[in-house]
Amino acid sequence: MTEKILTLWTGSGLYNLSLGQAVMVLVGLLLLWLAMAKKFEPLLLVPIGFGGILANIPEAGLALSAAEQAAHLARPALLEQMAATLQLGLDPAAGIDAWRHTLTEVLHGDVSPALLRAANDMAMDAGFAHGMLYQFYSVAIASGIAPLVIFMGVGAMTDFGPLLANPRTLFLGAAAQFGIFATLLGAVGMSAMGWMDFSLNQAAAIGIIGGADGPTSIYVSSILAPELLGAIAVASYSYMALVPLIQPPIMKALTSKREREIVMTQLRPVSKLEKIVFPLALLILVVLFLPDAAPLLGMFCFGNLMRECGVVERLSDTAQNALINIVTIFLGLSVGSKLMADRFLAVETLGILALGMVAFAIGTACGILMAKLMNAVSRMPINPLIGSAGVSAVPMAARVSNKVGLESNPHNFLLMHAMGPNVAGVIGSAVAAGVMIKYLG
Amino acid sequence: MQDTQLLNEGLALMGLGMGFVFVFLTVLVIVTTLMSKAIGRFFPEPVAPEAPARGGARAQASQGDDVMVAISTAVHRYRRRHRR
Repeated sequence: MTEKILTLWTGSGLYNLSLGQAVMVLVGLLLLWLAMAKKFEPLLLVPIGFGGILANIPEAGLALSAAEQAAHLARPALLEQMAATLQLGLDPAAGIDAWRHTLTEVLHGDVSPALLRAANDMAMDAGFAHGMLYQFYSVAIASGIAPLVIFMGVGAMTDFGPLLANPRTLFLGAAAQFGIFATLLGAVGMSAMGWMDFSLNQAAAIGIIGGADGPTSIYVSSILAPELLGAIAVASYSYMALVPLIQPPIMKALTSKREREIVMTQLRPVSKLEKIVFPLALLILVVLFLPDAAPLLGMFCFGNLMRECGVVERLSDTAQNALINIVTIFLGLSVGSKLMADRFLAVETLGILALGMVAFAIGTACGILMAKLMNAVSRMPINPLIGSAGVSAVPMAARVSNKVGLESNPHNFLLMHAMGPNVAGVIGSAVAAGVMIKYLG
Repeated sequence: MQDTQLLNEGLALMGLGMGFVFVFLTVLVIVTTLMSKAIGRFFPEPVAPEAPARGGARAQASQGDDVMVAISTAVHRYRRRHRR
């Protein structure tokens, strides 16, 4: 009788809960609280936070692959077999717990995909299965599908009218991408100083946080540095939610009151034909110059074409509502699955959070400085405040520009002017992502 | 030794990436401007604005009348109700 009670107890969550897991459950709850009480990107932080809690349930292994589950639970005979498959020697004297530990470490670390598949097959033959969140992750993110489908939805929601009316705002979107590359350099610098240990691929994936574009950063890090995906996605989405707090001080510091009061000329009307041709022209440029950005920008252009061509209302409606919502749920849960304690709780995560903030700040500053330069050079007045909208984060960054502008001059509505650099930022960060993937992938 | 190499590669990627983003978006600006000009010249929206302008002016006027009637009725009713 006591033995049975003991089995129940050793199988319980409480008995098996490690300190790291407890901390991560609290982190998950913190994300949920931020989403619910503070309205920080609730559409993403609720699934991410909840996924993070699910991934850290002890013994359930929802976010583990079959091989990892087996390493944790299987009998010694199977462990030995798996070690043989992974070309690994197990020290017979070390005891079974040490074996489990070694196997888990190896499965987390750099093991070739072929060996990993073999180990997974072996575990599945023995009756182990991939965890639910692991399945979501491999379908939604590892395959690259979810960020791309979301990009299509974003394309279907985007109105290029303000950009077409004033194409030069594209330069603002380009300038704000400097945050991405400056952060990359920062991450590389941190490794050179010996504070952190980031490879160039990881540094690039961290830098893309500065693009302020959730799907782009998830897409890039799923290709270049899947091991950092959880931290990068969380940093990226939380900073997007923090745009109204991070940007205004920088904007005010870099502009004079006089500049903030600049009234911009009314945008010209844009014909329907222009709006239809633009996504096609953009697509052709991508084809000609940067095929590596084709997945991201191709889906983006496709979504936008569905919106503008006017003959597939139903498809456009699905892409920007039902489909994007469905995909967001799975994307959020899959990102949450990367919040497992043993991988998320590391010094690197703190580094990523810090670098992400810097990336945002530098991007904002560069956008504003570029707008000031353009204002000085061009005949048409340009309010420097719209430069900060160059860090995508559609449409939050444009709203912030508008709000700060209204504070200086209550009759100066910058929203439509800021939408131009805002969507230019989306294109700019997708191009930057394409360059990174081309260079490092 | 390896660190400086990493830094150099980071710098190279930064120069290359930023340069490429600017070149790409500059080309996009040029293409967009040309496209808008071409469309403005060869397809100067005769269909879109004219049709609503011709048929729309009358429709708009009658619509305006309808709106005026609706507003005055509403104001009338509101006043009557609140006088009591």
